[in-house]
Amino acid sequence: MTAVITGVGAVSAFGVGARALFDGLAEGRSGISRIRSFDASTFPTHVAGEVPVPHVETGWLGDALGNPAIADELGAAGALRDRKIAWGLIAAREAWTHARCDEGERNAALVLALGLEQALLEDFSGIYEPGRIAWEREHGEGVRFRTPVDLTARAVHTLLGLHGPTTVNASACAAGALAVAHAASLIERGAEDIVVCGAADSMINPLGLGGMCRLGAPSPRDELDACRPFDRRRDGLVIGEGAAVFVVEHETRARARGARVLARVVGWGSTQDGYRATAPRPDGAAARVAMERAIARAARAGVAATSIGYINAHGTGTPLNDPAECRAIHGAFGAHAVHVAVSSIKGAVGHLMAAAGALELAASLLAFERDVLPGTANHQERDPECDVDVIGETPRAARVDALLSSSFGFGGQNASVVLGRPA
Amino acid sequence: MTATRTAALIASAWRTPLGATVDAAMARLYAGERAAIADDRAAYAFETIAPLRDEPARSRNARFLRRMGLFALEVATEALAASGVGGGERVGLFSGVGGLRAHWDDMLAAFAPQRDDGERMWERGLRDVHPYWMLRHLSNNVHAIASAELDVRGEGATFGGGNAGAQALAAAIRALHDGAIDAALVVAHDSLLEPETLVELGARGWPAAGLVPGEAAAAVVLVREREGAPRLTAHDAAGPGAVDRLASMVGGHAVAAEDPHARDEAAVVDRVAHRELATAMGQVGAATAVVQAIALAEQLRARRLDTRAAIGLHESAPGLASLVHVEVLA
Repeated sequence: MTAVITGVGAVSAFGVGARALFDGLAEGRSGISRIRSFDASTFPTHVAGEVPVPHVETGWLGDALGNPAIADELGAAGALRDRKIAWGLIAAREAWTHARCDEGERNAALVLALGLEQALLEDFSGIYEPGRIAWEREHGEGVRFRTPVDLTARAVHTLLGLHGPTTVNASACAAGALAVAHAASLIERGAEDIVVCGAADSMINPLGLGGMCRLGAPSPRDELDACRPFDRRRDGLVIGEGAAVFVVEHETRARARGARVLARVVGWGSTQDGYRATAPRPDGAAARVAMERAIARAARAGVAATSIGYINAHGTGTPLNDPAECRAIHGAFGAHAVHVAVSSIKGAVGHLMAAAGALELAASLLAFERDVLPGTANHQERDPECDVDVIGETPRAARVDALLSSSFGFGGQNASVVLGRPA
Repeated sequence: MTATRTAALIASAWRTPLGATVDAAMARLYAGERAAIADDRAAYAFETIAPLRDEPARSRNARFLRRMGLFALEVATEALAASGVGGGERVGLFSGVGGLRAHWDDMLAAFAPQRDDGERMWERGLRDVHPYWMLRHLSNNVHAIASAELDVRGEGATFGGGNAGAQALAAAIRALHDGAIDAALVVAHDSLLEPETLVELGARGWPAAGLVPGEAAAAVVLVREREGAPRLTAHDAAGPGAVDRLASMVGGHAVAAEDPHARDEAAVVDRVAHRELATAMGQVGAATAVVQAIALAEQLRARRLDTRAAIGLHESAPGLASLVHVEVLA
């Protein structure tokens, strides 16, 4: 039973909508900008792949969703300051509409990948006492110290009027890819015939940006080209935000209801590094196995490894990730590796953390929709350690029959997904 | 819906408010004891809470894991050791976490100088936060550390939210039957006893409903087949009627209860006896399904139930429910 994608929605640094993402990538632009959603002027970095909506207003979200009631409810609860909630809802609505889902699809399951629960530092100023937090002062409806991890999923479930089970994947930067893999596996096993799946995340807020800066993950260069995947000069990531949501369903079901198939989800695999909390396995061995499992599953679905012509890499632009990923690609693809084009969109949209894998799968659809492979923003001088066919800043016109997208999470959670061109 | 797939439960470990070992906690359960205690200092809106009584062992991983994460790592280590399963690429790891439970005490130094308008937050203390603060609060840090410490490198994922334990169990069983792995380590942990959680639950009316917040970490090791081992399956559902739909999946019915949070205590499926786990241990959030699986397997194995199968139902929030079904064939 083949799972197919029949709808996609996206919110990214290029704006609201999958079309904005496709257009931005196809034109080789970058969405990285100065942070506008809060005053980041004193932070070590001021740049991010920020969705160009500085403040999520209740009325604006209600219009975007065509459902003011949900926006009002979330706004009244103070939840809209956690930006990922809005991005997830908007992307889900777009995917649902794009797939032409209706009453007959409301039995869909929901598999959503989400990042950290969000807390807002300034909320604590009113209840701080020297040496302690006076939690007892805050009670009733005003409690908003964090948004529950599954709040976005519950809101999407309500927005779309779904009846199926809800799963929340919290596998850090691998979560988005794993959510799509999970959906495809449910369909392949016959457990579900339609699943809304994807991811939403935002760490563009004081605690998120501050925590990442203290960790030393972002590039120390406060420039718009801060993230330079596979480049000899790469020195760190740039944070992004957004969401990508898909409608994935059984191919027979999709064709029966006349839905347009955007891609077939033919392979997926996951592994853990079992190495270190703070660094990927340098030899890329576990990432290679995740790719091999995805490739092997695709082969069983009739998609040969040699038909994979494009890899949307995790490609964080960090010193450790990129060469390890290239070693994994060589290990998994063998002699075919030199024939596979590789790019990372993180230089253009930033690292969306839990939503990275989902947005990168959405971006990969560009290959089937327009026969264009996204470029790698800010990549100018390939690192010899990254010995693969990196697509530079300019997107590449090419027709590929299948592609692979990889995502690697904190502590070595690895996920790879293979998409096939629709028949 | 396809035929239900099950897996054999071959090892387990937990830290629950009733006891730190399975034997000790089950003995107290059989004796009808309850873990709830009164604690004026820590209970906030509640009269009683059900905390873990011990502290985790000293660990070099305290750099990356807070208290409940360390407990989770302990039980994962114990369960894997008891199973006789080594690590490697054919052993999967599936984790469930309830949520951030943020340990804001880590941030006190950053809070003191902050202002309501959020001006210059970096300079007003955020720059002094420990570099590992974010790592210690990542959703998958137990998963990452357990993978590294135990050399578990097979398929896996981390699930979040109140049903996360059930989702981790279900994903592990699915991976076993897909042939991606030969064994699965499933670990879930949660604490409802962080101050902000207690305040939130208080605002939601839990104290008036008589619910006792608790905390637990639990781990099981599953394989496809093992003669004589209890067999396990797990499901979750969302939306109106979620509990009833889950109960119907195992051919029974859920007894209606006015308070949805009491349903996991009131739900009974024909063939199944019921041991009031939640009453004895307190509400343990995302760890519930794994705790239920262990407790039911123990009761069936010890012939404390006069049936061969038992279920545990849990409604983590209105419209979000999970079910574990445990069966002993021999």
